[in-house]
Amino acid sequence: MGRSKAHYWFVGPAILLMLLLLIAPVVVAAALSMTDYSLGNSGFNWIGWENYEKLFTRRSYNKMFTASLTYVLLVVPISVALGLGSALLISSLRIGGELYKAIFFLPVMATLLAMAIVWEFALNPIVGVVNDILRSGCDKSVIYGFLSGSWLGYDPLESWYGSACEKKFPLWLGDRKYALGTIAFIGIWQAFGFNMVLYLAGLTSVPRELYQAAQMDGADSAWERFKLVTWPMLGPTHVFVITISSIRSFQVFDTVEALTEGGPSKSTYVMIYAMFEKGVRQNLLGMGSAITIVFLIFVLILTLVQVYFVNRKVHY
Amino acid sequence: MASIALSRVTKSYGGQSVINGVDLDIHDGEFLTLVGPSGCGKSTTLRIIAGLETQTAGDVSIDGSLVNETRPSLRDLAMVFQSYALYPHLTVRQNLITPLRLRDLNFWERFPLLGHLVPSRRAKMAQIEKEVQLVSETLKIEPLLARKPGQLSGGQRQRVALGRAMVRNPAAFLMDEPLSNLDASLRVHMRAELSALHKKLKTTFVYVTHDQAEALTMSDRIAVMMDGDLLQLGSPEEVYQNPQDIRVAEFIGSPKMNILPGYCDELGNITCAGFSLDGTLEIPSPGPVSVGFRPEHLTLTEPNADQSLAGKLTYKENLGSDVFFHITQEGIEGSIIIRAQPLISTPQQPGDIIHCTPVPGKPLVFGPDGQRLDFKALAQSGTSS
Repeated sequence: MGRSKAHYWFVGPAILLMLLLLIAPVVVAAALSMTDYSLGNSGFNWIGWENYEKLFTRRSYNKMFTASLTYVLLVVPISVALGLGSALLISSLRIGGELYKAIFFLPVMATLLAMAIVWEFALNPIVGVVNDILRSGCDKSVIYGFLSGSWLGYDPLESWYGSACEKKFPLWLGDRKYALGTIAFIGIWQAFGFNMVLYLAGLTSVPRELYQAAQMDGADSAWERFKLVTWPMLGPTHVFVITISSIRSFQVFDTVEALTEGGPSKSTYVMIYAMFEKGVRQNLLGMGSAITIVFLIFVLILTLVQVYFVNRKVHY
Repeated sequence: MASIALSRVTKSYGGQSVINGVDLDIHDGEFLTLVGPSGCGKSTTLRIIAGLETQTAGDVSIDGSLVNETRPSLRDLAMVFQSYALYPHLTVRQNLITPLRLRDLNFWERFPLLGHLVPSRRAKMAQIEKEVQLVSETLKIEPLLARKPGQLSGGQRQRVALGRAMVRNPAAFLMDEPLSNLDASLRVHMRAELSALHKKLKTTFVYVTHDQAEALTMSDRIAVMMDGDLLQLGSPEEVYQNPQDIRVAEFIGSPKMNILPGYCDELGNITCAGFSLDGTLEIPSPGPVSVGFRPEHLTLTEPNADQSLAGKLTYKENLGSDVFFHITQEGIEGSIIIRAQPLISTPQQPGDIIHCTPVPGKPLVFGPDGQRLDFKALAQSGTSS
């Protein structure tokens, strides 16, 4: 029997498409990152590692890494913890769970760009509803006393709220001190509903008999049962949720583009935004590609960590 | 060791009643089996005893003290689940330690990491390790202690689940179909092991199963439940030979008891399928009745023999040690099953007409309501017709 060549025809198209659409762009980006090419130029020069050198030495890129990492470190733990907490609370409900699920999932379904514009209005320092509400508490002694700590005998002017009442409330998106935190807040608001849904799915796969066994064994409090059953049984879900949240937070772009454009003074200059600014706005394709490659390496590391953990630790 | 008593326990889910007033006294050290078809309320009854579910009404007491409001862990019972419910992320050793750790160590001694600094922890852990060792020796699971449940076979998991129940030395064991996930030969083997374990531990066992063979082989007493009612409670022999309800008669015994329509006259004489039974009913209930024959209580006879029942052989089921003949007769629904020794059975072929006759004194009569109707005592008899 002669060896047929049919198998090449079966795998060929898939491999070709993969090379063309996935591998080739990465290779091209890697090559471009070694050049000073700009779109429209007839030629380019090979400049070796110069772009990468800039990336790791210049202050503005330093700020980029700081902004991205700070954003991830703020959004991931908080959105994961909130997602798990709300999933546990919702799954313990007898009625009304569906309603809460729908409400918490709304931000996930909404277009982030549209929501960013809504947040922009809400956070506007002059006409925004956020500062309006905060300001309205200043002349109500109950709220003022509570928030400024003067009830507990502290000097109200020492507190954040007290001094803000005295002077002015922050320019949430225009102040270097607050901008990244505000962007992260919107990120958490958007992401935790998604994590909640993943955790709810994870919770349904925990066998009920395990909880009953734990009860028989003397795990009387809900906390004991959570430690003994829920937390370990959610292992695969934890890994998945954390990885997905990290990758999605590294990818944050729409809110930054719509609200701060990387500012003020590059405090929200996250990686994808930098990629966009360098590669598209300033037409420095070489630099943009270098940032892309570094970004891909970050994502690759996250994915490898996930694969490694999934295979080792959390599947029993 | 403990006795367990249920009194008028009922349970309903949203108006749907699943247990209708069960009274049950489980003696100290007894092996009691709750048996019935699926959905009869036997598992729910067990869970109510365990405290995993709360009865709608009625009382549960253990050793004479009311436990209606007592948490499951404080009832001092251990449960073996059908799925075993082992903690998959813990090794076998940790699985066995868990109930003791939760019972014997206080909050601070259990605290992660910091707990190791509490001085009293060490002595307690040493004691726990000793008990785990003892149990794993009894169950011969020592080589498995370092493995996780996912790496064990079904039979091994079953042992570990038993071990986790045993380490606490509970007052009673509750078992919810523990053998139903095992393959057939292992199940038969584990039956013998469970019986031996019961003899050794001398603790009360409450065992739930839908398999009447398990119930008959292991129990001291059987409680047959159906549709939320406790139909009969008695020793395996009693339940098999003397079922008080037609549903019990049909459920216990394999193959099923043959039920034929019969008729009772004014004097209490029964006629059925063309012949009349020996003896008369104690209290005649004129009208239609049901007559039950166990397969082993029908014997093959020559054609034209007195008092015989004839039918066409449709299927011959050879089990090696026994042969079951399935015969059909016109006017009777379903088939009648007869047990015979393989030696007598050889010549008949499907399609042949077969004759059989009941063993005198063995048929059981049930009234239209399914209740058993007793024959007059046969003491002075011998007057076979």
